[in-house]
Amino acid sequence: MSRRVSDELADVLIIGAGASGAAMAWSLAETRMRIVCLEQGGWMNPAEYPTTRSGWELERFEGAYTLSPNARGRREDYPVNDDDSPIKVSNFNAVGGGTILYAAHFPRLHPSDFRVKTLDGVADDWPIDYATLEPFYDLNARMMGVAGLAGDPAYPPKEPPLPPVPLGKLGETLGRGFNRLGWHWWPSDSAIATRDYEGRAACINLGPCITGCAQGAKGSTDVTYWPVARREGVELRTHCRVREITVNEEGLASGARYVDGNGHEHHQRAEIVILACNGVGTPRLLLNSRSGRFPDGLANSSGLVGRNLMFHPYAMVTGLFDEPLEGYKGPTGCSIISQEFYETDPARGFVRGYSAEMLRGMGPVSTALWGMSSNCLPWGAEHHAAYDELWDRTAGMVAICEDLPEPHNRVTLDPDLVDADGIPAPKIQYQLSENSLRMLDHAVARGSEVLKTAGARETWSEAPLRPAGWHLMGTARMGSDPRSSVVDPVGRAHDVKNLFIADGSVFVTSGGVNPTHTLQAIALYIADHIKKNLENLFD
Amino acid sequence: MNEDSLPEPVFSAVLDELIPARDSSLPGAGALGLGATVESRLGAAVALVASGLAALDALANTRKARDFVDLPREVRVELLREVAASHLGFVENLIVHLYSAYYQHPRVIEAIGLENRPPYPDGYELESGDLGLLDLVRERARLYRDA
Repeated sequence: MSRRVSDELADVLIIGAGASGAAMAWSLAETRMRIVCLEQGGWMNPAEYPTTRSGWELERFEGAYTLSPNARGRREDYPVNDDDSPIKVSNFNAVGGGTILYAAHFPRLHPSDFRVKTLDGVADDWPIDYATLEPFYDLNARMMGVAGLAGDPAYPPKEPPLPPVPLGKLGETLGRGFNRLGWHWWPSDSAIATRDYEGRAACINLGPCITGCAQGAKGSTDVTYWPVARREGVELRTHCRVREITVNEEGLASGARYVDGNGHEHHQRAEIVILACNGVGTPRLLLNSRSGRFPDGLANSSGLVGRNLMFHPYAMVTGLFDEPLEGYKGPTGCSIISQEFYETDPARGFVRGYSAEMLRGMGPVSTALWGMSSNCLPWGAEHHAAYDELWDRTAGMVAICEDLPEPHNRVTLDPDLVDADGIPAPKIQYQLSENSLRMLDHAVARGSEVLKTAGARETWSEAPLRPAGWHLMGTARMGSDPRSSVVDPVGRAHDVKNLFIADGSVFVTSGGVNPTHTLQAIALYIADHIKKNLENLFD
Repeated sequence: MNEDSLPEPVFSAVLDELIPARDSSLPGAGALGLGATVESRLGAAVALVASGLAALDALANTRKARDFVDLPREVRVELLREVAASHLGFVENLIVHLYSAYYQHPRVIEAIGLENRPPYPDGYELESGDLGLLDLVRERARLYRDA
């Protein structure tokens, strides 16, 4: 393998072009510093997304658009050993990262999420609060194009820039169910352009956002932040997989060694290094960056790199209704959200809580496969009658349960497994806590209750949902004490003063909502700190 | 058909029993010609299915002195259920791939009331819905805690 050294020094090197790396690059671009971003994946072509062709539905379950990197097996992906976890990792590697396949559900954390120790006596408080992030949530909502409705009593006031995703017949049906129970519900905040917005065409309700948006209406960062950041001068190099962060004699990050798409190895020097590789990729890279000065991995004097991994344990409940719901139309995961059970109530038998996100229905193939796995679609003479009772008559709920940090839930390096470039792959060790199990039980019961109240004649549940490891958090946590955290309150590694982390790794707790909006707001907040302190950043 | 293909006509006959004709306008899955698609997706399970098909024909000949495809429909189903019970995985593997292939077929998609087209570029119309339903929620006290 040839090895090439870049003579050009970057002011800022960002690793990862996904949700947070894109936000970081865009925000820093106004400084006119030389900013380079390395991304192991390439650019996606929306014209090639599955919804553009026949057979689109099955591609969700197999091939290049499945959620599991192990099943996809693209060169851009790295394998993950998640044999020791009941929840399997889901991610995507490309410009846009996980936002390429996410559902674009875009809720914020709540004020209480930053004070869980103070309020509920568990885990730790964040060193920052909701008010600190609020302006960055607002900025990110404008950049990503968030659709929603003001006035939600579950949140401090906020003004989404775009009108909400249509409720449709399904949303109305479920909303009436919530009203009968007197439970909270609200149209979901969604990173979906519900009208033409900043060069993006309006959503046309294709349905399966989770195999990529051919319309370009979904706010994936390849169509939001990156076009602007590149126009502002950020250099984005694709198919470049970082092997390690290098350090100099002073213990500062000096750049990154990476392999390009042709297998050539390079070293990119940089004054500032920022990691944005998600809650599994970032600890993997830090642990792969061992040196004489950092024998346990970079920025790991606390021993916490990779520890406190949090997913969101998901419960899923599916209800079968008597009437067609037109559920195959519209953004799959962005109908309505309920936070009736979000804040702690000791009477429930667990601390913290969950969001309930209502799902639209399924396409023809998904209906058949779900019917088969749920034992309600027989073969033989009764097949067609049974299918007709299922088709377009299902609606679902997923509960996103807050996962509390536990040191034994962790990312390490697998001793044998490597990616296509020979770089050690991550290994996941994860167990569900008793608190999570009780919360999942509660969510299944309440989900069944609301679906039946809305008109479902039967419900089915699954908890935990196995392939639901798409929220990766906590593995390089933020804090003021270097003994109990990896980065400080502005995202800088305690051990390496020119190394920043700006992804879900820094979450202290997980909350019970999808994390993308928060991790992007954090990236913008960290970028803001860097910009305001450039003169004395390393003093 | 090459030498390694699943045997016909018994394979198509089995597919026709798993998903029979919907009505006079839509034949069963075998007659729709889904056998090749299903077989191509079976992977390593193709041996299991081949074994099941052989057992089915053998049972038909032993018990009814006729090939499976020559039996009346109700007898075919009876034998198929018997072999499904004795050859675990035979029918299960078949229906996973059969359901996937069948519900992508243009005639089936139209039969369930959809246009035969991918979602893009035409998309779908979706009613905005009655946001007045939220009035009850708006009347509630705030749910979030100060912190």
